[in-house]
Amino acid sequence: MLSITARNLASALRGSLVGTSSRVAAVRCLHGTEESAEEFDKRYEKYFSRDGIDGWEIRKGMNDLLGMDLVPSPKIIEAGLRATRRVNDIALAIRWLEGCKDKCGDQKATLYPYLLEKITPTLQELGIPTIEELGYDKPELALKSVYDA
Amino acid sequence: MSALRLIPRGNAGGNLSQMMGLSQMGRRLASGGDGIRLMVGEREVVGYGINGRPIYFDSQDCPFPAIRYREVTPELCAIREKELGDWKKLSLDDKKRLYRHSFCQTFVEFQHFTPEWKICLGVALWLVALGLSISMVLKTKMYGQLPDTFDEDRRSAQLRRMIQLQMNPITGISSKWCYEENKWKSQLH
Repeated sequence: MLSITARNLASALRGSLVGTSSRVAAVRCLHGTEESAEEFDKRYEKYFSRDGIDGWEIRKGMNDLLGMDLVPSPKIIEAGLRATRRVNDIALAIRWLEGCKDKCGDQKATLYPYLLEKITPTLQELGIPTIEELGYDKPELALKSVYDA
Repeated sequence: MSALRLIPRGNAGGNLSQMMGLSQMGRRLASGGDGIRLMVGEREVVGYGINGRPIYFDSQDCPFPAIRYREVTPELCAIREKELGDWKKLSLDDKKRLYRHSFCQTFVEFQHFTPEWKICLGVALWLVALGLSISMVLKTKMYGQLPDTFDEDRRSAQLRRMIQLQMNPITGISSKWCYEENKWKSQLH
């Protein structure tokens, strides 16, 4: 019993150590060098367009991007949409569009039409409806109060 | 607005002994003892969420929660089958249903202004009223008279003594007293 546990533990440790060393190197490389906007875009585009990306990683990338102080560039948005197509999750695509629209903040009037214009070909190609087509630019349903349930 | 909303467990049937069977007890312990894994029910865990726990809530800071909002049903599986194909063939209604399966509220819905401020203000004013009434009761019923040293003549005697002892002669009270004229310096001219 103990030997089995020890072996499992050893293999688990080995896996994690080997895994982290390359990751640590990747993080360390970022120290000291300023990443330009183009590099940033390219990095996330690459992240989303990787083969075999799964819903977990897509959500992670999108959560991270929407947590940053920026509006994702149309290239990244398109890459994200294509990634959701590959994992067959249209809900994710719609939520991603909503999140990107929300990131425009108080510049929605100028930025959002620009983004939409850039990503419209992809939307049409994949058959993803815009937020306006869904009617999600206005509140659709009201939540029932938890005290009435 | 983005209050953490725990989802009640789907199947309410079954008595307590069934609910707390051995395997479920194990799952409860594995999830840290608060039973969040039990509340998730049949919902898919699809991501990391905000802290790695399978909880659902809507917020713009973390728009992709760890679990889907609804449990899987046969009707939904049928739409899922269609979702595997061309999305152009999905009807708008199907798209909306898929969205509402994964998420509870859209961005504009959970960002919509709610009249919640009324209850917040109301409770705050109630607490202020309670505090005021308590202090009034204490003042009238519990505390006795102020000590003798608060009388006017005793306080002026105290002041006189402070001046005689030349307390704080540089910038304080004695610096403002003229000892030749026995007057406040401000009264001299």
